[in-house]
Amino acid sequence: MRRLAALALLLPPLIVFVVFFICPLVYLFYVSLHEASQSELFGASISLASYAAIFSDPFYATIILRTLKTAAIILGLALVIGYAAAFTIARMAPRWRIVCLVLLLFPLMVSNVVRAYGWVALLGRRGVLSTALRGAGIIDAPLAILYTSYAVIIGLLTILLPFMIISIANSLAAIDRSYHEAAQALGAGPIKTFLHVTLPLSSPGIAAGALLVFLLTLSAYVTVTLLGGPQSKMLVSLVYDAVVAFQWPRAAALAFVLLAIALAVAALIQTVLRPQRVGGRGR
Amino acid sequence: MRALTFILPAVTVLAFVVIIGPIAIVVLAAFSPTEFFTFPPPGLSLRWFVEFFRLQNMRDAFTLSLELALSAASLATVLATMAALAVVRRRGIVANLLQSLFLAPLVFPTIILGLALLLFYKSLGIGILPGLILAHVLVGTPYCFRAVLTSLQAFDFAQEEAGQSLGAGPLRTFFLIILPQIWPGLLSGWFFALIVSFGELNTALFLTGPGETTLPIEIFSYLQFQGSQLVIAAASALQVGLILVLIFIIERLVGLARLTRS
Repeated sequence: MRRLAALALLLPPLIVFVVFFICPLVYLFYVSLHEASQSELFGASISLASYAAIFSDPFYATIILRTLKTAAIILGLALVIGYAAAFTIARMAPRWRIVCLVLLLFPLMVSNVVRAYGWVALLGRRGVLSTALRGAGIIDAPLAILYTSYAVIIGLLTILLPFMIISIANSLAAIDRSYHEAAQALGAGPIKTFLHVTLPLSSPGIAAGALLVFLLTLSAYVTVTLLGGPQSKMLVSLVYDAVVAFQWPRAAALAFVLLAIALAVAALIQTVLRPQRVGGRGR
Repeated sequence: MRALTFILPAVTVLAFVVIIGPIAIVVLAAFSPTEFFTFPPPGLSLRWFVEFFRLQNMRDAFTLSLELALSAASLATVLATMAALAVVRRRGIVANLLQSLFLAPLVFPTIILGLALLLFYKSLGIGILPGLILAHVLVGTPYCFRAVLTSLQAFDFAQEEAGQSLGAGPLRTFFLIILPQIWPGLLSGWFFALIVSFGELNTALFLTGPGETTLPIEIFSYLQFQGSQLVIAAASALQVGLILVLIFIIERLVGLARLTRS
């Protein structure tokens, strides 16, 4: 009876997720394995032509490398800045910590298109920064940051930073104070305590934050387009371009290249940080 | 070491400035009295909000986004509550797999989900509106699932057994015993899904159509094809305002601490 009730509860959400999440992805993979067609979504014969085209074209290689490089820079900066901010927030009184966390959650709720637009207004040639710096006589020519990879990095970094800060701060706040006291009682200085106690114990937060920042960088089409312009395209822009050109198998294959990169990096993050060694705590 | 006590707070303040600054600029720009945004603005006016509600396409996008967010969040909350109730007391591989499945849209590259759904809908002939609702339900469910699951983990299931041994059926047990204790989780999950759906961008990118566009997509296409007109800033400011109102309501009803935990 209990089992039957649990099954009846589970079935509706499970059906929705299997039919509208897993099936479409399987279908997308199926599409990626076909030749392009003029009249249909995809041609009749099975072929790896789309994948072959992606891996043999130096244009795609350039963009994939640029995507990885940009994502790595954003991830590195987010780790350093995010850890510093999280460390400060985790040591605040609980009341202030909640205020800070809500201040970080609020931007995450605002649509990315609005936040990217804010950077367009700030960084553009006639934007706030350009006008202010020229008015102060610091620069002569208008700022030329917008529509470069720098704008993409600044924009995505600030859009994704709250994820990193929140997950590390939660992880740090969950660490039992007595560990620090134990380390210090055993003669470890503050730096040693940090490197051997605090840092490893916060690895679940670092891993969760790093994963989110990296995955969301890979799929941030709108931010990349608004801030990077046509010169700084990333892998996700190619997916979009292929869709707009109705090259469905090509778009599908690019999507799976992107997914493969995402999976590989997720596995890498898990292996390097080994968050599972901090059993169950720190979330 | 001494330098760190200086650097850490400085970096933290800087982080908050660059995170919140762009949003503040957009909101400020929305109140510009001039044709183009200049900083500091020469005054304040509501002309761009008036303009926003005069434009048919903006008004339609705003209404559609609101309807979409309300229906998708409600559906997601129902599905997520069912899933959480089914999963919460299970251990083992199957339970872990199910949990990962219901949380997966959180980290899954949303634009790829959008592309997969587009092709899937095309081959099945599913229309734009039901397609959008389904996509937003998928994106919102993980937030509700996490919030409800957290509430359920604090629930003492002996009470459920007590109810059942006194003759209450599963439905009565849920509505009379479980729901009154987990509603804060349900509610914050619903709010979260509502907000996420209202700002959803990358999944909906491929799924909207002419005349059936959500507000974020409308803002995006305006920015891309018509330059940064300040009516866009007004649209953005409306979104920010709605979120602030919702955060205030959550604060009143269930407290902010719950929000930061889920």
